[in-house]
Order: sequence, then structure tokens, then C-alpha cells
Amino acid sequence: MFKDVAFGQYYPTRSPVHRLDARVKLLLTLAYVVGMFFIKSYFGFILMAALLVFTVIVARLPILSVLRSVRGVMLIVLITAILNLFLVKDGEVLVHWRFITITSNGVHLTIKMVLRLVLLISGASLLSLTTTPVEIADGLESLMSPLKLIKVPVRDIAMIMSIALRFIPTLFEETNKLIAAQKARGAAFDSGSLFARIRAMVSVLIPLIVNSFRRADELAFAMDARCYNATDKRTKYKRMTLRFADLIAALLVLGTIVVVLLDRYYFASVGIYMDKLIFGGLV
Amino acid sequence: MAQLVLKDVGYVYALKEGAGLKAIRGLSFSVEKGENIALVGMNGSGKSTLAKLLNGLFVPSSGEVLVDGMSTADEKNTFEIRKRVGMVFQNPDNQTVATIIEDDIAFGPENLGLPGEEIAERVRSSLEAVGMSEFASRTASKLSGGQKQRVAIAGVLAMKPEVLILDEATSMLDPVGRREVLDVVGRLNKEGITVINITHNMEEAALAQRVLVLRKGKLVLDGSPKEVFASSVLGACGLTLPPVAQLANRLSERGFELGAILDENELVEGICRRLK
Amino acid sequence: MSAIEIKDLSFIYSKGTPYQKQALKDVDLSVEEGTVLGVVGATGSGKSTLIQHLNGLIRIQDKKRGSVVVNGLDASKRKERARLRFEVGMVFQYPEYQLFEDTVAKDVAFGPKNMKLSKEEIDLRVRRALELVGLNYEGFAERSPFDLSGGEKRRVAIAGVIAMQPKVLVLDEPVAGLDPVGRRELLDLIGRLRREVSPTVLIVSHNMDDIASVADRVIALKDGEIVADGTPKQIFGDRALVESIGLEVPPAKRVADMLEERGIQLPPQIIDMDELEEALAALLKQKEGIADEAQTAEATCAEEGDMRSQDDSCAVCRKTPDEEGEDV
Repeated sequence: MFKDVAFGQYYPTRSPVHRLDARVKLLLTLAYVVGMFFIKSYFGFILMAALLVFTVIVARLPILSVLRSVRGVMLIVLITAILNLFLVKDGEVLVHWRFITITSNGVHLTIKMVLRLVLLISGASLLSLTTTPVEIADGLESLMSPLKLIKVPVRDIAMIMSIALRFIPTLFEETNKLIAAQKARGAAFDSGSLFARIRAMVSVLIPLIVNSFRRADELAFAMDARCYNATDKRTKYKRMTLRFADLIAALLVLGTIVVVLLDRYYFASVGIYMDKLIFGGLV
Repeated sequence: MAQLVLKDVGYVYALKEGAGLKAIRGLSFSVEKGENIALVGMNGSGKSTLAKLLNGLFVPSSGEVLVDGMSTADEKNTFEIRKRVGMVFQNPDNQTVATIIEDDIAFGPENLGLPGEEIAERVRSSLEAVGMSEFASRTASKLSGGQKQRVAIAGVLAMKPEVLILDEATSMLDPVGRREVLDVVGRLNKEGITVINITHNMEEAALAQRVLVLRKGKLVLDGSPKEVFASSVLGACGLTLPPVAQLANRLSERGFELGAILDENELVEGICRRLK
Repeated sequence: MSAIEIKDLSFIYSKGTPYQKQALKDVDLSVEEGTVLGVVGATGSGKSTLIQHLNGLIRIQDKKRGSVVVNGLDASKRKERARLRFEVGMVFQYPEYQLFEDTVAKDVAFGPKNMKLSKEEIDLRVRRALELVGLNYEGFAERSPFDLSGGEKRRVAIAGVIAMQPKVLVLDEPVAGLDPVGRRELLDLIGRLRREVSPTVLIVSHNMDDIASVADRVIALKDGEIVADGTPKQIFGDRALVESIGLEVPPAKRVADMLEERGIQLPPQIIDMDELEEALAALLKQKEGIADEAQTAEATCAEEGDMRSQDDSCAVCRKTPDEEGEDV
């Protein structure tokens, strides 16, 4: 049921992408995500996809590990896509049958929406595949450090996030075990009445929650025993330093986004021209 | 003065409606530096509560616990005590804070505010001490139970403790994992670290120099494994002898005159001597 | 009658990905009804993949080749697989962590309810299951499972499986984490469950001593294949075999081996402490008998000489026959 969740699954390959500064990766991921919403032409999508594939290759990740993260949300993507397809009414009508109308604009918007979501999720999963939760938390802590001035407990927030990420695989594993155990007692997860299904879900959720509290308790003791909060001057094992590679990465990502923005606001005709060039009459 | 001193320690868990559960009652004993102690008792005997009293995770309801003369009840001492008394817990999955092994080892030293180079050195030497150096940059979730517990021990070692408490640290491991952990712990003890192994596995108790037996929160036996194993109250404490010692006792009843036996070598020696 | 028939069963995890791992490889297994089968193997040897095929939790990957049939129910057929869930009771490791209802009785009733039994039948089964695992119905039925001790929780969880009255019971590391008394009680319980509810029992464990004490037959898995199949004596009595599987020999076997190395001849394949005790007591009696009857030195020497022919490193037996004669 939860077999294919890649989120929170660090994939260690020690590639140049892995070694980038976590703060840079966080900001660039953010830029990538925001940039994604400015894409207008297929040409823009191709550019972003190329950037993504390039990163995956440099990071030496199996492409499957990236796609797996998409599979988890595919259902949501498809539902939105279908709604989109039927709800957009403007443009050339392609199909008209009773209350169903599909227009060319609808088709294009839908394709672009699916592309956008798939690229978004794969891009975000790249961050968690190439960055350890501790690095992410440290990066966030460093980025948020100005907030310390206004008494925001930045360090604790970062710690909480890091632990949450650390426990995601553990909890998925436990969920799978519980599902197996309750299935063995005849719990109906994918057959039977709605009531039976809810009961089956409850039989997994309750122990999952109870066990999580127990885990949290034990973890708190373990952290206390290792002197958590012993001093305000908590130091860092891995200090973050910006290197040349970080600059290159930033230029690459920001460069792509600049092209996307130019394509949208200044040279829209270029994108349309490129689309026509690549897809011919289809666009 | 002894490294750890317990003076008439009591601990009461607060229950609802003002009631309390006395988990530890009138406990007094002391531990010298470098000792290798097994603390045994059945589930519910107060073992784990006692463990948490030894490094200030719990503060005694009555009496006092002194670590190198410092009382755990005084908050000023808390971190100094926890630095000296390290603790490894039962469930290997619930005591790692970081995904990557070296990051997890660094957690303690980071909390102590040590400089980066010092932390790196400690991460390296701690992983080496438990034989996990090659795993430094891997994720902990892919390890076997024994390896996870060795990582947990390394996480404690990185704080350079003087006492290592194992709170049923081997009870979830398979025999191979158990052996791995016990080997590491035995070596650390030889290097001078005081070890207190809380367990209900009597074969592990046989490996200690001194065995403390808890029953209903009270200390009922305190002696060498041989003395403790020879005691008639062990059964009443919900404990059974290790299989080898059981066999030795039964053979003695049948004319072998073996005396107290702790391990297989002694048993074999004894039998050979008698079957002359 | 055979309760379990497995033929040519293979299973590959994450097929077609870089993580691909063959968990089972051409496994053939037939288990007679009434057997207590011990399943041993190192972590990752395929034990849990194998047992989860028995109740259809894991589907057969290659239905054309592999087959799993339990008490006539074919795991490859959808309808029969549904019945299989209740035919094979599965108690996972640390089952106490799966309890979820607010009372013990309700939790134990979860399985029978899923079987859509009548209310009376469910009540009857819950009552019986609790009594079987040694928990007094009146005393426990209305308590919250979360307030029980660890050992009691585990019993409740086992009762939850027993209440389905499965013909085959599978227990994965049933005594893990229990103290010595809890451990012994649970091993005794397994015998009772076999007599009263589930004639066929499979026990997965890392503890060879436990397996040796309860199993009639043992299979050993290594890298997804059954590499040994026999009585506990045949398996655990073979040190080379046990070690090649990555397991430890039971302590009695270890002691027996050490004694033999020292020249004390014992009956072959001693694997538990009772046998070792009897064998050694017999040897002592024999020796003292010989001494009492003041038999001729000749006879003793012949006897001792026999032992020595195995290995003469034992201090006891290292003496020359003449010296031994003097002893007598």
C-alpha cells in the first residue's frame, strides 16, 4: 500500500549534487518550484525537464527512484487532469457529446498541468534523494537564523523537522507490518463494505499512533541521555561552506528559470515558434 | 569515593488520583570505576527505572544517587552526569536521531558544543571502536539489529563516558547481533569503562563480574555470578539459570560434584575431572 | 494428510529495479498435518516471505510454475485465498504492537468478526481463546489491552489469532523479548494450542534451543532456498551444516562437542540438555559401577582405549592404560 513512497528516502551516491550546500539546494528547489508556475510554452517544459534529467544523471540516481515519488500522487494528478479536461470550455471544440465538451485549449492546459505536477514532484523528490534530513534541517536552520533575533526557536524547529524526516521510513515500514498483521486477521482493506474498510483502517491507525507515542517517548529519553539542550552553543559536525560547485549549480538553475521568464514575458513568440518547430501542427 | 553511589533510593511513579506505584524501594549500593555489572530481574522488577535513575533521566523520590560525588537531583549537575554516564536503550530504531550514521554519532558531541574538528575525530574513533567505520556515510535504517546497536554505542562513546549503561540493549537482537554487541561491550570494559548491563538474559549475567538481582524494586542479591547463581531465591525472582548452569546443577545432584559453573569451559572441565 | 503443499515457489522483490532481490528460489515443501515445523535461517534468508505465502499475504508471483496449497485451499485462486486467511493463523513478531480495540474482548473478536460469524459464536470463541492462552475471561475481557503487562499483551494478541481457530498456526519469533519465565510459559502454550486448536504449527525463530525443544521437524533456509530438512537432531546435530546456514548450534550440542573433543564418548546427535544429562549420568554410573565391582584393569583399559581412539586430548583420558588401571 505504501511501498512506493520515495519521500524521505535518501539515496547515497556521493555525487556532486549530493555534495552541494543544502542551503543552495533548498533555495534552488524553491526557485525551481516557483519557476515552474511561470512556464507557458512546451519549450519551457522541455527546458525544465532537461534540467531535471541532467541533475538526475549528475546525481547518479536511478531514474526509477525519481519516478517512484510521482507514482504515489499519480491518482491525484489524474483526477485533476480529468476535471481540467472537461471544465475548460474555450478554444476549438474537439469533442462534443451531450454534456461533455473537450476543447483544444482544454487538452493543452491539461497536458501542461500534468507536466507541471510531474516535474514539480520529481524536482522536489530530488532534494530529499540527494540531501540527508539532517542537511535539510541544518540548511533550513541556517536560512531561518535571522528569525532567532525575534525569539523563534529555530534550532528546535530544525530538530523536529530532521527527526520527522528520519522517522518517515520507519513509520512506513511499521505501517506495512501492521497492515500485514491485520490482514492476517481478516481485515478488509480493499474489499468488503465501506464500514469494514474503515474498521480495517482503524485497526492500523490506532496501533500506529500508540506506537508512535511510545517511540517518541523513548526517543526523548535517548536524546536527553545524549545531552540534548546541554548548552546554547550547540555546534555543528558538518559546517556548511559555499563552494564553486554551488555557484555553478545556482547559475544553471537560475539561468534556466530566467529563460523561462523571458519566454513568458518578453519573447512569447519565441516559445510559440519553438513549440511549432518541435510539434508542428499539433500545437 | 565510588563512581556511582545509591543511598536508600526510592522512586514512585505518579498514577491517577494521587496514587503512586513504588517502582524502586530503599535501594543502596555503589559501583567502582571499571566494574562490569549485570543488573537482572524479571519484567516489571524496576530494572529500567533504576537505569534511568543512574544518569538523571529520573530523579529519586527519596534518597540520592551520586555520580562521582555529584547528586542527580541537582539540576546543575545534569549534563555533567549524562556526559559521564552514557546509555544505550532497548529498541535500536528509537534512539537514532539522524538518518546518516555519522550524523547520528555527532549528535552528542554537537550537544556538548565541541568544535567541529574534535567532533569529526570523535565520530571517527567511536565508529572504529565498535567496528563500524566503513558505514559512516550510510543510512542507519538498512543495518541489522546488532549493527544498529553498535552505532548506538558509538553515539554514546562519542561523548567519552566513564560509565556505559545498557538498558536491555540486546533483548531485541538475534543471537548473532547479541554476540556482536557483547563483544564490543566486553572490549570497552577492558579499556576501563564501567559497564552496567541491564538484562534478563542470564547467560549475559554470567559474563559479568558482579550481578545485582532486583525483585519488586528491591535489591535481593548482590554478588559474583557464582554466588548469585547458587542462591535459592533466584527462582522467586522470576529468573532461571543459564542452560549450562542448570545442567551443572542437575549433574551435581546425580553425583558429579561440579560446584558453581558459569560457562561451557568450566562445565566441560568439571565433567572431565569427574569422569576420570 | 499433508496440511501444506508448496511446489516450485519463487519470489523476487522489486523485480526489474536495481533493488531486485530473489527472496525465494524453487522452494518445495510438504508438511504433514500434526507437525510442529521449525523454520530457521539467518535474517534475510526468505523465512518471512515463505510464511506470508501461506495465508496469501504475499501473492504467488509465477502462478504457472509455483503453487501453494494449504488444507486443500489453493492460494492462487482468489476465492480460496480469502478462506486461506482464516485457515492459517499468523502471529507476527511482537504481536502486542498490533492491539487496537479499547477492550481485550473486542480486540480478540476482530478476527472472528471479519469471518462474519454469529454473535454467539464470536463470544464463545473469544472466551475460549482467552482461556486457552491462560487469561481468565472474567478478569481480562473488559480491560484495556493497553494497560496490560508486556507478556499479557502478547497473549491477547495470540488469542486474537487463535479465536479464528486456524488449522495451521504460524508464529514468528514468538518468545522474542520475554524474560525467562515468560519464555517458558509461551513455549508451553504452543504445545497446548497445537493439541486444542491448530494441529499444524510453524515456528520461525533464531533461537535454536527453542526450536529444538518444540519442533518435530526443521527446515533451514539460506538465500531463499531450503538447504536442510530433517528432525531437530539431524539438523542441529550437524555443526558444519548449522554454521554454514549462519546460525548457532544449541548449547547442549556445543557442550557435547567439547566433551567429545576431550575424548568423552557420547551418543551421537545430542541436542538438548536433558539428553546430555542422561548420557553423562549413564557414563558416571558405568564408571562407578566398574569401580565398585572392581573389575579388572584390562576391561577398563579396553573401554578407555576405545574413547581415546576418538581423540585423546582429554586430561582424564590422557593417561596410559596402566595408570588408569591404578586408578581403578
